[in-house]
Amino acid sequence: MFKKLGRKWSEKLEFGVFTLPVLICIAIAFYIPFAMTIRYSLLKWNGISKHPKFIGLDNFKQIFMGDANFTSAAWFTVKYAILYIVLVNVLAIGLAVILDMKLKSSTWLRTAFFIPYILSLVIVGFIWKFIFMQGFESLGASTGWGIFKLSWLGEPGLAFISIVLVSIWQSIGFYMVIYIAGLQSVPEDLKEAATVDGAGPFRRFISITLPLLAPSITISVFMALTNSIKVFDVILSLTGGGPGGTTYSVAYDIYRDTFQNNMFGYGTAKALILFVAVLIVTLIQLTLFKRREVEA
Amino acid sequence: MKSSRAGRIALEIVMVLLSILFLYPLFLAINNSLKSFSEVMSDVVALPKQLAFENYSYVWSFINYPRLFLNNTIITVVGLAGIILVSSIAAYKLSRTKSRFSAVLYVICIMPMLIPFQSIMLTVLRLAQDIHLNNSTWGLGLLYWGFGAPLAVFIYHGFVKGIPKEIDESATIDGASGFRLFFSVIFPLLKSVTTTIIIIDVMWIWNDFLLPLLMVNGSPSTKTLTLAAYTFVGQYTSDWQYAMTAMVMAVLPSIIVFIFLQKFIVKGVVAGAVKG
Repeated sequence: MFKKLGRKWSEKLEFGVFTLPVLICIAIAFYIPFAMTIRYSLLKWNGISKHPKFIGLDNFKQIFMGDANFTSAAWFTVKYAILYIVLVNVLAIGLAVILDMKLKSSTWLRTAFFIPYILSLVIVGFIWKFIFMQGFESLGASTGWGIFKLSWLGEPGLAFISIVLVSIWQSIGFYMVIYIAGLQSVPEDLKEAATVDGAGPFRRFISITLPLLAPSITISVFMALTNSIKVFDVILSLTGGGPGGTTYSVAYDIYRDTFQNNMFGYGTAKALILFVAVLIVTLIQLTLFKRREVEA
Repeated sequence: MKSSRAGRIALEIVMVLLSILFLYPLFLAINNSLKSFSEVMSDVVALPKQLAFENYSYVWSFINYPRLFLNNTIITVVGLAGIILVSSIAAYKLSRTKSRFSAVLYVICIMPMLIPFQSIMLTVLRLAQDIHLNNSTWGLGLLYWGFGAPLAVFIYHGFVKGIPKEIDESATIDGASGFRLFFSVIFPLLKSVTTTIIIIDVMWIWNDFLLPLLMVNGSPSTKTLTLAAYTFVGQYTSDWQYAMTAMVMAVLPSIIVFIFLQKFIVKGVVAGAVKG
């Protein structure tokens, strides 16, 4: 097909044919929208008007100077992210260590804890809403336990905890299987050598297993971080931002401003702030963890 | 030694009980999807007195389940086929071409992994409206090509590096070049990573919510399973038996597939996370 052209040109043409499709797709999905986002963030616009007004950085000023919604959403997201990252990783390591002990039920346990991860988060949120609202009422009546009589979605502090717990319930299986894979790469002879040296199970875990798990911890914390900063679906179906607007995350706040309040310019300015925050946090975390990893 | 064996058995029992408790919410969802309204209201925990399968036939036709299932399948298959095709050829070429230009293009391909979807959701929607990809399951499938490409290019690129260049060269001597060389010689060698990408992308696209909400929520004929379940609950806020039926019907395909392909799925998810 390319025989008439020189060899160099046909190679270049082939390079173009192979790489152009993906570049076009990525441009449509990311780069063009991203450029549009930067432009929109400088506008005052309701999305309908033909003549959006250029207002420079006023949107950003307004967000940082006095947007109570954004501040509370940012706080909520930070608190959520910290609690989620710590709990989900600690619990997943615990589960992985137990499942790695080759129990008879290990296969079943792995399946059981992994199942929620294959379900859509929105649906998980609805199922739990049902459990919290209707299920706990019945469980409270039959057991008489106080824990079931609390208003898990109606009280701000408890609603926050509910969101964290449901997120962990849905995703713990994912982190667990990453840690199991990590544990299986810890050499048995290292553990045996430590046992011979008189190290107890706890000591073995702290000084051998944990350092060698570092790569898995890096991956898991990284995933937990990127997922928790963007938390949206589960809140939408579980609390809908309530009670009293206390459980809006940054992503949900952006969604509310752009699609419910039709503040296109203002909403995209917030979206851009979210992007910068994700970028900074990711870069910091990657450099920090890379330095600490132990070569196995 | 004896006490440690007893300890193991105790641990085993505790863990099995814990796993049952862990899955209890799912059991309650299924349990209540098979009850009448008054039974749900009187006691959520109790088993149904008689199985109310009419909930299922009601929801099945109300949300037009076969249509939704078809929509989900179209979106997932179109999206996946495109992601695999455009990403694998590009990653192969970028990995084989050693030049500064090629390295820059590779970075351009994987950089978007850092962009959160919520940062661009509004403008993605506007752009899709401009090029008429919205309100169509095929259009949504096409959009996933770009959204899935960065990770797929990243995974393929790393894997192609490990395939010796001599394979390309000997195929060239045999007269194969360009696409023929790629599809008959290289692509089969990528089977293991292709499986990984298929698994993580199917789970993602099948369950995705926000992008479909923006793109195809306008008409009942383009909705996905999750979207339909979402709107259905909005309309039937107090009819929990129907809501739970819709939930169970929305998640059942995933659970069935998972039960059969468990080993592959867990392996794929781990491989995807470790490489990504």
